[in-house]
Amino acid sequence: MDKRLFSYINWGLLACMLLLYLVGVVNLYSASGTRLETGVTISSFYQRQFIWGLCGVVCMLLAMAFDYRQLRNLAWPFFLVTLFMLLLVPIAGKSVYGAKRWISLGFMSVQPSEMAKLAVLVLGARLLARDSRALGWKDFCCVLCIGLVPCALIIVQPDLGTTLLILLILGGMILFHGLKGYVLKTCLLAVPCFGAFMWFVGMHDYQRQRILTFLDPSNDPRGTGYHIIQSRIAIGSGELWGKGFGEGTQSQLRFLPERHSDFAVAVFGEEWGFVGCVALVTLFCLFLLSIFSTAVQAKDRFGSTLVVGVFFYFFWQIFINMGMVIGLMPVVGIPLPFISYGGSATVVNFTLLGIVLNVSMRRFMFKG
Amino acid sequence: MSRKTESTGHSAQARKGIRSWLKIQVESESYQPPRSGVILLQVLVGLLFFVLVTRFWYLQVHRGAEFTRQAQENRLRIERIFAPRGRILDSRGKVLSDNRTAYGLSIVREDCRDIPATLAQISEWSGIPLSQIWEKFRQDRFKVKPFEPLLLITDIDFDLVARIESEIYAWPGLEIVVRTKRSYPEQDLFAHVLGYVAEANEREMAADSALAMGDLVGKQGLELKLEQQLRGRKGLYDVEVDAHSRVLGKTLREEPHGGHELRLSLDIDLQRAAWEALNGEAGCVVVMEPDSGKLRALVTSPAYDNNLFAAGISQRDWDALRTNSRFPLQNRVIQSVYPPGSVWKLVMATMLLEHGILPRESVFCPGQVKLGNQIFRCWRRGGHGSQDLMHSLINSCDVYYYLMGERLGVDKIEEFAKACGFGKPTGIDLPHEKSGLVPSKQWKRRRFGRPWARGETYNVSIGQGYTLVTPVQVAVFVSALLNGGDLLKPQLLDDAPREVRGRVPARPETLKFVVEAMRRTANGGTAKVVGRKDADMGGKTGTAQVVKLKMAAGERRLRSSEMEYAQRDHAWIATWGIKDGKSYVVVVMVEHGGGGSSVAGPVARKVYEHLFGPAAGTKVASSQPEASGLRPAPGRTD
Repeated sequence: MDKRLFSYINWGLLACMLLLYLVGVVNLYSASGTRLETGVTISSFYQRQFIWGLCGVVCMLLAMAFDYRQLRNLAWPFFLVTLFMLLLVPIAGKSVYGAKRWISLGFMSVQPSEMAKLAVLVLGARLLARDSRALGWKDFCCVLCIGLVPCALIIVQPDLGTTLLILLILGGMILFHGLKGYVLKTCLLAVPCFGAFMWFVGMHDYQRQRILTFLDPSNDPRGTGYHIIQSRIAIGSGELWGKGFGEGTQSQLRFLPERHSDFAVAVFGEEWGFVGCVALVTLFCLFLLSIFSTAVQAKDRFGSTLVVGVFFYFFWQIFINMGMVIGLMPVVGIPLPFISYGGSATVVNFTLLGIVLNVSMRRFMFKG
Repeated sequence: MSRKTESTGHSAQARKGIRSWLKIQVESESYQPPRSGVILLQVLVGLLFFVLVTRFWYLQVHRGAEFTRQAQENRLRIERIFAPRGRILDSRGKVLSDNRTAYGLSIVREDCRDIPATLAQISEWSGIPLSQIWEKFRQDRFKVKPFEPLLLITDIDFDLVARIESEIYAWPGLEIVVRTKRSYPEQDLFAHVLGYVAEANEREMAADSALAMGDLVGKQGLELKLEQQLRGRKGLYDVEVDAHSRVLGKTLREEPHGGHELRLSLDIDLQRAAWEALNGEAGCVVVMEPDSGKLRALVTSPAYDNNLFAAGISQRDWDALRTNSRFPLQNRVIQSVYPPGSVWKLVMATMLLEHGILPRESVFCPGQVKLGNQIFRCWRRGGHGSQDLMHSLINSCDVYYYLMGERLGVDKIEEFAKACGFGKPTGIDLPHEKSGLVPSKQWKRRRFGRPWARGETYNVSIGQGYTLVTPVQVAVFVSALLNGGDLLKPQLLDDAPREVRGRVPARPETLKFVVEAMRRTANGGTAKVVGRKDADMGGKTGTAQVVKLKMAAGERRLRSSEMEYAQRDHAWIATWGIKDGKSYVVVVMVEHGGGGSSVAGPVARKVYEHLFGPAAGTKVASSQPEASGLRPAPGRTD
């Protein structure tokens, strides 16, 4: 491998992601603590997250090892395999919590909807990279279709969060690429109609309930509203300087639900206060900006679009998860990258960033 | 060979195909990202930062204190620590109202896996029907939170506690709770004075924030009236809990303070002596110190066992008490009103002296007075002959008071009687005290819409008609005669100060005159039953008619024993006794007892025997029939 490649690596991005990963592990250590009569016991979430992170780093290195432009060739096959897996889910999938999302391969379970995110991202980048002109109706529909087909399969699982995320990533990429003026205007008009359609046809009762509760948590303080209320109390009670590491009562006494996964940042907010939260938000923004700089510096459209897809992948997750935890968004099961516990999510995150680093490394190479 | 080249050629072709598939396509033109896209991404990141930081500021800085408080409320729960209720003692320190430990069984719904089975098990242990336990459970389930204990049965006996204790591990959610219960060792003897406590009801809890579910609160008697002193103040624990209400630790925030121990002025032995003297008759005895107003005995009979209420009275017991024709729930000393009969003549005599009637002024008593076509009789058929004020009291001559009352008029009687404390409560520290009634012309017009009749003044003058008093009012008045005219609040507490609530509007000479009349009445008049040589005694009897007896001329008055119980006269005696510098006022009232001297008198005498020791030589001749017999002697000796 060319030694020059290393000098082009986006070191800022690497630093941001490792820092976030460490903050995540440390925060999970605290979020794993549970105070019982006998004292504090700590479950092993942070250790597992640490190990998953190491796996993620290996995957990241793998994702950096080959030329990212190979991905363009793999886009369609990968997409088709993913579709096939998604079709298998209703037939061979196993139910967890009333939703069929997993397929068992014997030695491990995979979540085809996770693969769908990647597949749509790569194929979207390939299709958008064909030329530089803003999209007309034909191209727009073509790109949209590769998002809608897997989404239709995912939403029946049901998995609203992933469906939403895929559409938002693809939408972000399309917006970045540019739309013809009339297409953009029509789309803006169509969004409310689509929202209404989702409300009346596409959503399950519990999902509708979540949105209603979001609008007024006190409606249902013991049920769906409980998450929102407790999470606001956790964050708010951190005040300016926080309660200190490991001192969060909302989390340690288990008032805060889902404190390892979706609401992990509430634990952070409770213990580190406003100062810590601003630092974390700043870190996330720097992280996004370094991905952004890679997208701008990339010397080919495919690489750039790919990185923009990754940018939106992270942007939407940060926006939706943080928004949910601080009560600006309804409760949707989307984790916060690096902060929430989740093995496969961590591996996917690292892998995607490997691709970004890959693009940044090879921004001056044009040989085949 | 050719085959080999063919195969290598074939593989080379395949390799070429794969290579071409893997060939990286490179855009020829120099790539520039779309300008609008670049701006979009930057704006999005900026927006994200701005929105999140603003929101964090709002939650953590702007409303931080509020959420901190909510987090505290989440985490800390307040648990009350029971404060023992103050005991009540008699004047010499004997316990009248005590606390004892009682065991109960309660259920924490959240921890209970199978409520129906658990309730069935409780029923099996306790022998209480399952339906009753279910009813209690349904009644209270919304009053206590799921993680708080709901008390299902109380007062389990110790053997059963031991058995439940050994099996309780199999029934999660059940716990044995220790509470204190009130007990009244003297039962009926002090039931009306002490009253009782029971669990606070919803109304009481709404009115008093210090009360919680299951707390005991005074419902009757002193327990009710002095609730605030007896109760004490609960302590508080800060209990740290987690989201599952599991208790993690306790810190004491406020220590409990037990209630005040109250020492009564009542004397348990005197109380018992008076109780025994009544011998089960419906009636009451008041013993009061005329100088201080302190009550030394306050007996009403029949009574009830107040332990029944403290333990939670059963419907059957309650119905039995409520429907009992002798009204055991009634505190006759303060809650029952009676016509005072001739005892009223003490009030009348005081008034007459104050209104210028001279003691030497005489009235001739022929045995009856005619008013229109009505005949008003003196109790003595043959008449008393010429009577002055002193003799009218000693002989209890009705005719004297008929005529004198007529002379002053009912409105003057009303004014004076009210000034003597009648017609209003005495202020004793017991609930539901009655006022009695002092009638007037105005009152009758308001009450019946009819004018006052002259004959009614006759009746009022001898303590009949509409006049109604409580026994304690009589005791307060007689005390005032002795202490110089102060109408004192009857005190039940040993350390209570002397409290003057009014004054008898009479000169000291007047009071001395009436006292002297009482002395002479006890020394040979109608109240001689209480007279004794070793002490200075005074008294006045009364026999109050309950129904107007229609008697044709010449017809014999019926004896009490020949009448229906409810139509028999009330027997009164109001007395005082002074020995060795100690003075007491004793008022006895026996409901439907018959003659005052024959029925109430012996009761009072027994009380004095307890106070002053056995009488060395009574002035009561052994021929006095009522001294030995329970039931009245022939005729009225009023």
